[in-house]
Amino acid sequence: MASVTFPQTLEAPATPTTLKLVKRERLMIGAHIIAALVSLMFGIFMGPFQTFHRSPTFVQYFPTIPVFTFYYQAVTAHGVMNALFFTTFFIIGFSYFVMERSLQRPIKSVVMGWAAFASMAIGLVMMLFVLLTMPQQSAVLYTFYPPMIAPALFYIGLVLLALGSWLASANIFLTYRDWKREHPNERVPLAVFALVVNFIVWCIATIGVAVEIVFMLLPASLGILKVTDPQLARTLFWFFGHPLVYFWLIPAYVSWYTMLPRQAGGRLFSEPLARVAFILFLVFSVPVGVHHQFSDPGISASSKGIQTLLTLIVSIPSFMTAFNVGAALENAARNRGAKTLFDWPFKQKWNDPVVAAQLSGMLLFIAGGFSGLINASAQLNATIHNTSWVPAHFHQTLGGAVTLTYLGIMYWLLPAIRGRALFSKKIALAQVFTWLIGMMLFGLAMGEAGLQGVPRRALTSQSPYLSPAGAFWLDVTAVSGVILLVSSILLYVNIIGTLFFSRQPMPEAEVPIETVSGDRTSPLWFERWGIWLGMLGILLLIAYGPVMTEVLDFQEGWNILRYMPTTSAPMP
Amino acid sequence: MEINKFERYWLIAVGITLGAFAAATIIAVTVFGIRLPAPVERIDPQRLDQTIFANPGVRKIADNRYEAVIVARSWAFDAGPEAGNPAVLRFPRGSQVTFYVTSKDVMHGFQIEDHTLNLELVPGQVARATANFNRPGTYHIICNHYCGAGHQVMYGTIIVE
Repeated sequence: MASVTFPQTLEAPATPTTLKLVKRERLMIGAHIIAALVSLMFGIFMGPFQTFHRSPTFVQYFPTIPVFTFYYQAVTAHGVMNALFFTTFFIIGFSYFVMERSLQRPIKSVVMGWAAFASMAIGLVMMLFVLLTMPQQSAVLYTFYPPMIAPALFYIGLVLLALGSWLASANIFLTYRDWKREHPNERVPLAVFALVVNFIVWCIATIGVAVEIVFMLLPASLGILKVTDPQLARTLFWFFGHPLVYFWLIPAYVSWYTMLPRQAGGRLFSEPLARVAFILFLVFSVPVGVHHQFSDPGISASSKGIQTLLTLIVSIPSFMTAFNVGAALENAARNRGAKTLFDWPFKQKWNDPVVAAQLSGMLLFIAGGFSGLINASAQLNATIHNTSWVPAHFHQTLGGAVTLTYLGIMYWLLPAIRGRALFSKKIALAQVFTWLIGMMLFGLAMGEAGLQGVPRRALTSQSPYLSPAGAFWLDVTAVSGVILLVSSILLYVNIIGTLFFSRQPMPEAEVPIETVSGDRTSPLWFERWGIWLGMLGILLLIAYGPVMTEVLDFQEGWNILRYMPTTSAPMP
Repeated sequence: MEINKFERYWLIAVGITLGAFAAATIIAVTVFGIRLPAPVERIDPQRLDQTIFANPGVRKIADNRYEAVIVARSWAFDAGPEAGNPAVLRFPRGSQVTFYVTSKDVMHGFQIEDHTLNLELVPGQVARATANFNRPGTYHIICNHYCGAGHQVMYGTIIVE
């Protein structure tokens, strides 16, 4: 096998500097990571219990399943805690670390950083309070649309989370701006480039859900607003709901592009093309939300068609990433003595939990990515819309690629913050591989059940319509739930062990820090954000202009909130 | 900025793959006539008695052609007194049925097993879709959108004879 010549774009390999985290950084980043782990703890354990609740055989033998006996409370807590609170806390904490280390400067304002954290933490406390004390009323799921209305605390908690995240975004943008003013003719390190993209996507996407909450759901919950329009609310929610997944994915890509090559023992194939991939995310990840609404009656088929094509395009940066990171991993394996065409995936550091977690996430992402392309095809969606195929898909992307990469990061970041070594690498490895196997089985079983017509997030063990094939696959799902429960326990054993019982010092060499951008060939205008925002604006007009016209339905006047009375969530 | 030869090949392959997906989507619409739900009408879910949904049920409109008007509520599909609760609809083999469905309270779903008919029922919107029943058998109508504590028992049945 002739080795591929790498493009000569890297003049000087990035050199890691020694890790000297000052106390201020350890407190700030540590607070975010701990809050993320608390959120994840409330979310993660709800997952396996849902698979138990849904499996007819499991319920037959264990009629009472402890912990969250109300199934829809578990669904809501799982979604809200994992998808909204865990991810946001983790991404912001990780982003502060990357910004400060890569730019070699503190974030713009520590006070603003703590204000942002306080806002999000109060939001978390409010949300946990409402989820735990009002299980029935707050069971509106993490995709919350009217006319089902939760208690006001639910929405206030979300507003505080969003406010905090916007403050954090501002902090990150200002830090970048200060660096750029001092280095006008330099390329910002790739990791920071990607994070700037990420927080731009976040700030644009959250406009949709903020409008839904502040102008529709919260006033309805407080009793001020008596009517609502579910079609408009759904459209606003999914304007946010799909870019949200890229907000989760891009930090994982930051690790794959800028940290994993060195962790695996190789180097990145092409840094300029990595920047192109992130620019494509910036331009294409927002105008695609309607692909969650292919079955909605209020949006025309042509509007849906436009967003089908845009969704196919947003897969291109992920395909580029597969090549670029794949080449970096092959390079790492060749350095380690891989010789033949297909032995390089096996010659990886599968015994290092940080690397193994990210590689396992990539394996799951192959299945998750392709099932995503199926979902994006408007006609195929009719077969699988709202069936358990959909959670199968996003547990391989979010529960797989994103979560495993975050855990891989956690396995070096938490020790770095704590200043002690990871409690046990063996437990970490066992956690990674049980997660990989459990999530593969979960994806297979939920996907098959979905093709048998089993709906998502329904207490199917009590459903009269369940077919034998559907019941079989739900039982398999419960088996995957057991494996994932074991994996989750292993994760928290290691986290608690690292925080309180680890006695070894942290090996500094294991912390990946990118300090210098080795990229000397990508054009400087890549960082003229106005160009990309302008393109995004045009695409939004094309993709969402017709949709909003149809949903707002101007022909019948401006009174869009004219029909539907609001209700609180139905009681059991 | 240069693009490596192998990466160029890869990007071309990706382009062909996505082109095939896009072409398949377009062919599904133009050749096979698969239709996505599209706006029909807005109605007031509080005043369904002034619309076609005042009298849910199945009407024969031509040979082997039917119209089914169904109201979804928590937690049943109301297809008229003849269909009962949970609703049972009977069609002869080879029927083409156009469903008009709406929700009178919260969001519901409307999915027919083994048929590519899958609708979101949004209060205030009329959803319309057509299904062809060519194979005899029993197919469930499943509510696949969370609608509260009784969501899991919300269903109906279609029997093709």
